[in-house]
Amino acid sequence: MLKIRNGRDFVGGATMVLISLLFIWFGWELDVGNSFQMGPGYFPMMLSLLLMAIGLSIIVQSLVVAAQDEGSETANWKAYCLVILAPVFFGLTLSGLGLAPTMLFAIAAVSMASRYANWRHSIALGLFMALSSVVLFTRLLSLPVSAFGPWVPFVGGP
Amino acid sequence: MDLFSNLWLGGATAFLPANLAYCFIGCLLGTAIGVLPGLGPTATIAMLLPITFGLPPESALIMLAGIFYGAQYGGSTTAILINLPGESSSVVTAIDGYQMARKGQAGKALATAALGSFFAGTVATILLAVAAPPLAAIALKFGPAEYFSLMVLGLVASVALASGSLLKALAMIVFGLLLGSVGTDVESGVPRYIFGVPQLYDGLNFVAVSMGIFGICEILRNLESEHERSVGVKKVTGLMLNGEDFRRVVAPVLRGTALGSVLGMLPGGGAMLASFASYAVEKRVSPNSAEFGKGAIEGVAAPESANNAGAQTSFIPMLTLGIPGNPVMALMVGAMIIQGVTPGPNVISDEPALFWGMIVSMWAGNLMLVILNLPLIGLWVRMLTIPYHLLFPAIIGFCCIGAYSINNSVFDVFVMALFSVVGFALSKLRFEPAPLLLGFILGPMLEENLRRAMLISQGDPTIFVRSPLSLSLLVVAAIVLALVLSPSIGRKREEAFTE
Repeated sequence: MLKIRNGRDFVGGATMVLISLLFIWFGWELDVGNSFQMGPGYFPMMLSLLLMAIGLSIIVQSLVVAAQDEGSETANWKAYCLVILAPVFFGLTLSGLGLAPTMLFAIAAVSMASRYANWRHSIALGLFMALSSVVLFTRLLSLPVSAFGPWVPFVGGP
Repeated sequence: MDLFSNLWLGGATAFLPANLAYCFIGCLLGTAIGVLPGLGPTATIAMLLPITFGLPPESALIMLAGIFYGAQYGGSTTAILINLPGESSSVVTAIDGYQMARKGQAGKALATAALGSFFAGTVATILLAVAAPPLAAIALKFGPAEYFSLMVLGLVASVALASGSLLKALAMIVFGLLLGSVGTDVESGVPRYIFGVPQLYDGLNFVAVSMGIFGICEILRNLESEHERSVGVKKVTGLMLNGEDFRRVVAPVLRGTALGSVLGMLPGGGAMLASFASYAVEKRVSPNSAEFGKGAIEGVAAPESANNAGAQTSFIPMLTLGIPGNPVMALMVGAMIIQGVTPGPNVISDEPALFWGMIVSMWAGNLMLVILNLPLIGLWVRMLTIPYHLLFPAIIGFCCIGAYSINNSVFDVFVMALFSVVGFALSKLRFEPAPLLLGFILGPMLEENLRRAMLISQGDPTIFVRSPLSLSLLVVAAIVLALVLSPSIGRKREEAFTE
C-alpha cells in the first residue's frame, strides 16, 4: 500500500492533472490536425498531455519523497473572502452606483479584512479613496465612468 | 561612430521635456510605491501599467522603465530601514543594510546603495547600447525554428533559476502556455476556450492576470501573518561617505557591477540572481568577511550594484530578441504589444527613436534616482510608517480601477479577481507564479513559430536539430535542465537560496 509522504505535493500534482483534463475536455471540439498542418487544437492538446505527465510525476514524487517540516499556516477566511469579493462587488456595481459610492463601499468593507481595522478608519479611508479616485480618474484621466450612477437617486446620471 | 550618433538620437528623444517629465514621474511613483512594504517591482508595474496606456509609445516605455528602477530602489530602502525587503532582489541587502541601520549608519547604507546603483546603472546602460545592436543583427537571421528553440531555452533557464521544485516550475510554465492559448487562433481564426464570452476573443488580458497573481494575491498572503511593523529609524542622517568608506566599497561595487551585468543578460536571470550571487562572492573574497552579517558596508555595496546592473541588462534579451527573462520584462513586453510595438530584433531598426530614447532615459532615470533618494529620504521614511491596514484597501481600489481601465470594461476586473484566487491556491501548494507569467506571455509566440517551422519543413520535426543554431540552443537547454536535475547542483541551488 502506497503512502502519501507529501500531502501538499500530492494535491498539487492532482491539481495539475485536473487542469490538463479540463483543457482537454473544453478543447475536445478543436481540430487537432497533424504535425504538418497543425489545427487550432494541436498546441493546447500537446501541452495538456505534457501537463498531465508533469502532474503525474509530481504525484509519484509525493509518494516517494517525504515533506520537509514546515510551520503550519493559519487560514484567515474572513480576510480571503473580503479581499476576493471586493473586486467582484466593484465590477458588479460600478456601472450602476458610479465610481464614488462603489469605491466607498468596497474600500470600507475590504479594510475590515485587517485585524487592526476599526470602523471609523475604514469609513474615512473609503471616503478618501472615493474622493481621490473620482478626482484622479473621472476628472484628470477622464475614464468613461461617472462619479454617481443611475442607481443613486437625485444625483446619479444615466 | 555609430554608437554616438545613436546615443545622440536617443538623447533627442529622452531629453524632450515631456519625456524627462515622464521619466521623473515614473521614478517618483515607482519609488513611492516600491517603498511601501510588500510591493515589489512586479506588483508596482502591474498596478501602474494602465496609467501609461494613453501616452505615446516612447513616453510610456520610458515611464515604465522609470517605475521599474524606482520600485527596485524603493525595495532597498525598506530592506535597509525596516529589514523588510520589498522584493526578492533586496533580500540580501537587508542582511547587512539593516544591521548598519541599527548601528546608526542607515544614511551611509542608503548612500552606498544609491551611489553603487548609479554607477552600476551607468555601466549597464553603456553595455546595453553596445551589445544590443549586434545581438539584434544576429537575431534577425533567426528563422522560426531558431526562435522556437531560443524560447524553449529561455523558458528552461527560467525554471533552472526559480527556487523550489523543478517539476512544479515546469508545470507552471506549461499551465502558463495553456492559458496563453485562450483566445482566437491566429492561423485558423477558430476561437479557443472562449465559452461564449466575447471579451475572451483577444485572450485573457495579461495585465489583469498579473495584477491578480502578483498584486491581490500578495495581499491575501500578507493578511495571513499580519502584524504591526515599526520603523526603527525615524530620522536618517549622515548621508555622506568618507574616504575610508569609499576605499572599502570601490572593489565590491566593481565586482557587483560586472557580475550583475552578465547574470542579468541570461534568460531567467535578472536582479535577484545577480544580488544573491554577488553577495556570496563578496563574502568569500572580502578581507572583511568576518563583518558580513553584522553590518559590513561591502554587503550593501556589492548586491545593490549587482541588482541594478542585472535589472538594466535584463532589458537586453527583451529588447533584442523580444524574449522576456523575468516577470518584469514579461510585463514590459506586454506593454510594448499594447502600444503597438512588436518586441523583437526589428525594434532597433524600425523604431530607433524609441529604442535609443529608452536607453538614454535609463541613464537619466538612474541619475534622477540618486537625486530623488538621498535628499528626499525623509519623505520615504514617512511613507514607510503608513500602516498596512490602511495601505492594502487602497491597493485593491487602485487595482480595480486599473483593471477596469484596460478596456473600460469590468470583465477584466473579474479576470483579476479570478487570478488572485488561482495565484493564491497555487502559492498554497508551493507553486511559483513567475514561470506561469513567462509561459503566458511566450505561449502565442512559441506556438506561432512552432507551426511556421513545421510548415516550412513539411511536418518534419528534425528541422529543429538540422539547423546548427537551433540545435545548439536546444542542446544548451538540455544541459541546463540536466544540471538542475542532478542532485549535487540541486543541493547547491538550495544553499544559494537559503543563504
